[in-house]
Amino acid sequence: MLNKLTFFKALQRDSWVKPFLRHYKKTLWLAIFLGILTFICASGLMFISGYLITKSATPPENILLVYVPIVLTRAFGIFRPLLHYLERLTSHNWVFKMTSEFRKKMYDSLEQDAVFFNNKYRLGDILGLLSEDVAHIQNLYLRTLFPFFTVCGLYVFISLGLGIISPLFALWMLVLYGLLVVALPLWSVLVNGARQEYEKKVKNSLYLDLTDNVLGVADWIFSERTGDYIKRHEENEAKLLDAQAKMRKFERKRDLVGQLIFLAIILSVLVWATNRFGGSQSEASNWIAAFVLCVFPMADAFMPLSNAAQETNVYLDSIERLNKLPQPKESQKISQVITEPLTLKISGVTFAYSDGHRDILQGINLTLTPKEKLAILGRSGSGKSTLASLIRGDLVPTKGQITLNGIDVTEFGDEIAKYIGVIHQTPYLFNTTIVNNVRLGNEAASDQEVWDVLKRVGLEKLIKKLPQGLETMVDEAGLRFSGGERHRLALARILLKDAPIIILDEPTVGLDPITERALVKTFMEVLQDKTLIWITHHLQGVDQMDKIIFIEDGEIVLQGSPAKLSQNKRYQKLKQIDEGY
Amino acid sequence: MVDKLLFKLAGIKQIMVKLAGLTFLQALLIIGQALFLSATLTNLWLGKSLSSQVVNIVGFSLCFLFRQGIDLLNSKILDDYARKSAKDMRKKLLEKLFVLGPEVVQQQGTGNLVTLTLDGIFQVENYIKLLLSKMIGMLLIPVLILIVAFWMDLTSGIIMLLVYPLIVLFMIILGFAAKAKADQQFTTFQRLSNHFIDSLRGIDTLKYFGLSRRYSRSVYRSSENFRKSTMQTLRVAMLSTFALDFFTTLSIAVLAVFLGLRLIDQEMALFYALSILILAPEYFLPIRNFANDYHATLNGKNSFHAIAELIHSPAPKKEEVELTLWQNKDQFQLNDVSFAYDEQNKLAPLSFAASGYQKVGIIGMSGSGKTTLINLISGFFTPNSGTFKVQGHELADLNAAAWRKQVLYIPQTPYVFSDTLRNNIAFYTPDVSDEKIWQAIKVVGLEKLVAELPDGLETQIGSGKRALSGGQAQRIALARAFLDQKRKIMIFDEPTAHLDIETELELKEKMMPLMENKLVFFATHRLHWMHQMDHILVMDEGRLVEQGTYAELLAKNGYFCKLLKEMRGTKDAE
Repeated sequence: MLNKLTFFKALQRDSWVKPFLRHYKKTLWLAIFLGILTFICASGLMFISGYLITKSATPPENILLVYVPIVLTRAFGIFRPLLHYLERLTSHNWVFKMTSEFRKKMYDSLEQDAVFFNNKYRLGDILGLLSEDVAHIQNLYLRTLFPFFTVCGLYVFISLGLGIISPLFALWMLVLYGLLVVALPLWSVLVNGARQEYEKKVKNSLYLDLTDNVLGVADWIFSERTGDYIKRHEENEAKLLDAQAKMRKFERKRDLVGQLIFLAIILSVLVWATNRFGGSQSEASNWIAAFVLCVFPMADAFMPLSNAAQETNVYLDSIERLNKLPQPKESQKISQVITEPLTLKISGVTFAYSDGHRDILQGINLTLTPKEKLAILGRSGSGKSTLASLIRGDLVPTKGQITLNGIDVTEFGDEIAKYIGVIHQTPYLFNTTIVNNVRLGNEAASDQEVWDVLKRVGLEKLIKKLPQGLETMVDEAGLRFSGGERHRLALARILLKDAPIIILDEPTVGLDPITERALVKTFMEVLQDKTLIWITHHLQGVDQMDKIIFIEDGEIVLQGSPAKLSQNKRYQKLKQIDEGY
Repeated sequence: MVDKLLFKLAGIKQIMVKLAGLTFLQALLIIGQALFLSATLTNLWLGKSLSSQVVNIVGFSLCFLFRQGIDLLNSKILDDYARKSAKDMRKKLLEKLFVLGPEVVQQQGTGNLVTLTLDGIFQVENYIKLLLSKMIGMLLIPVLILIVAFWMDLTSGIIMLLVYPLIVLFMIILGFAAKAKADQQFTTFQRLSNHFIDSLRGIDTLKYFGLSRRYSRSVYRSSENFRKSTMQTLRVAMLSTFALDFFTTLSIAVLAVFLGLRLIDQEMALFYALSILILAPEYFLPIRNFANDYHATLNGKNSFHAIAELIHSPAPKKEEVELTLWQNKDQFQLNDVSFAYDEQNKLAPLSFAASGYQKVGIIGMSGSGKTTLINLISGFFTPNSGTFKVQGHELADLNAAAWRKQVLYIPQTPYVFSDTLRNNIAFYTPDVSDEKIWQAIKVVGLEKLVAELPDGLETQIGSGKRALSGGQAQRIALARAFLDQKRKIMIFDEPTAHLDIETELELKEKMMPLMENKLVFFATHRLHWMHQMDHILVMDEGRLVEQGTYAELLAKNGYFCKLLKEMRGTKDAE
């Protein structure tokens, strides 16, 4: 039967939820202990109040005889809210602490594949999912695991406490409370689990479908088919609502059953207490009201368990998704050191993705001497960008080798950043100050050095005009860097890094021709002393390069100096079009 | 606290009356349950046997059961009602969204709208449920219990009455304090929580700089800072729950002690004292329930208001006009049309005329106003001033069904639905034959793609499935255009801006024949297209600076020639 509980199955091979329970053990135990105490105080308040009132009704000759119950009543009354408050703070603090470690682990896991992060995952999706996963795991701890541990503790406490007074009755209570702690939550998960699974699926597809069609709203409107879509949406929605209605119906029934069990507990205690303490008005009979009344606050602890257990299904996806992320590896520290000038040699490189059918690149041979300028042209999907990843060592060739001064590029690890810099299509600017963004290139750079590179890329004037200058946040309202300016900032960063080889990966896509021209001019000027590999889809500016290659279907189909290529018909035609003739 | 908008929901009054009736009954059962239990306990305390108490015990059990039964009924009624209201609301919202179109999507963001439509309405559903049940419970149950308490013992009644406003007062005060504290920290808050997302977004850049591994520590550090500031806020925020807890439990304790003392003085009977003690937690239960769910309802309330605002936002007035199928003799005019929305979307008054199957090129650099003009022509924007004249009809905007019916709109990245290739191609013409579709595929050059797809025409494409390249998406848009021959007006917005030059060339060859016998508006910053245009509008910084044929513009030697020169980096024009 437990096999049906996918949640437990997921937990078995989990490495994202369980390990964190071992962290900060003291705080964890404290939170659970405080939780148990809170309920004991709530129950204790009713217990001692019941005792106090019946005892007072005797009536005692002297108020001092009820002095202890009076003090206890007040104590429980004050401690319950206080403990509850502390418990909540402790458990939240624990969860947030865990979250910090959790985020770090998540980052480390994604860092391994950093270069392909944007391609591999659809960025919006994965970011949304990851932050949702963090929230889900937090809720799993706060709303399911903690209450469950607390109630288990309470359950043990009740059983032991009653066991001392009356073992047989304790056994009976063990059974009844057991129904609330184990049977009802289990029933819930089993029955509603499948429904929840289905609900999640329908909801998900509703989500995707709606997103898809909101994005395509213009086409729906122009085609005058909006009615079709709304009808389709309603049909899908009906499935969801139906599933939800069934779930709610079950929950209502289940809660009623829970209350019935609770009534049985109350009546059992009533019968037991009367048999044990009743029979005549005496000191003993004061305990009857105490024992009966203290049962009531227990409902607050035990009743929410079923829903909490059922919620685990919601978190299941998050757990599974997280467990699919690669485990962070320890870094291997073997890095080679080489000195300039650098010669890049690509010999017989063929590449195919392990799951791909065809080769992305086939037998590429190239040598780049220091300060040589190479342009790579080709359609999207021709393998240009793959070549860039291979050169940086982020991908490993299936055949052939790429070397820097004779050393395989994959041997440099993260140190490759010292030798090869990259500016890609959409350079990312971090949500921090301009100066912090530029200093990514070299954290030790002085303000003067930062200004120097900004001047070289033509941003000095623009930034000097800003009231906060270098300390301006890059995305602050009112200041949005345009496409061209973003690339200039990325260029400044690269200049500060001062790597001898620079790869420009289609940095001008989507820019208008004049912005493109100006940007290309700046690139050429400031990167004069570097070895340059420029991947481009336009011919704008390529005649300033030493060598141009055309890649088609993974092979070099055309290469030579601009002067040589200008004799070529195809090259001439493309160049003309690009210039607007 | 009480939301006026809620009372505008259809059928809410009947539901509230029903709920109030049931809740009233429930309050009576709560009181009955307490009295029966109190009687049982009093008699048992006196030493009477269990068997003598069967009636009281059965009475207690029945009250208990019926109370839970009413709970069930209450929540069933509410569930059904809330679900139905949510469904209506979702339908209204969707209908509105598809009327308002891309403009509202752009303003509010796709993600935001989708979340609002699905999650937002689920929250509203929850909000309706919680607010109705908790509010009615809070209004009725304490009052009835209080009446019983007063009847049993005046002083206890007074204590209970006095504590209630105290609780509410403290909750409000502490709630405000927490809010102030939270507001104060909000900015740091946001910056810190964005840090994680920010570092993931830029993770490839970090890797390129060889910094990504070291950055891990920064992720941890900022998360820890986040924890510390969150905890500071929580300490205050949780105080309001603490205050509620504190006053309720303490007042039960005070009542117990107080009742004890009165019993010692023999001023009241045990039965009454026990009844009041049992009723006291029930007295506070509704307000505690309300407070517990208060935060959950806040989100619901916000969504509710956001949704209502969208649903009730004025739909653009649709121009009612009869247009005939566009023919070669038809006239199209813009007279002093201007537009101003923000810095990016701004147009100075401009006029031009086009007729028949002319091809109108719109050229300019980024930010010159091309897209704004296209949005006006496609009817998404309503001009601030000026008029359109179509086939002799004067129109304030082009948001008219008769106009749209004839328009084919092809943006920079045509949207590919997550559906089969066939359905994507036949989106505008769902009933078209396979033969026609194959013809369209040939015309736009999609044969290679179809050959690569495992299930041919029936292959699922689009986001999350098989992604298409920009060129392939353009071809699908062209195929749609080819199939829908009733649409004689084509509007292009930068269709090739992000494509590589060879793909652009191939597409141009496929596109030009499709533009025959159509009125075409073609916005681009790629100059070579202008050779094929009959009339060219040259835009700069939101103004129409020049217009005419290619030859006329060259002769003028104005801004258009300047553009040509700047692009080629030469001083000599053609």
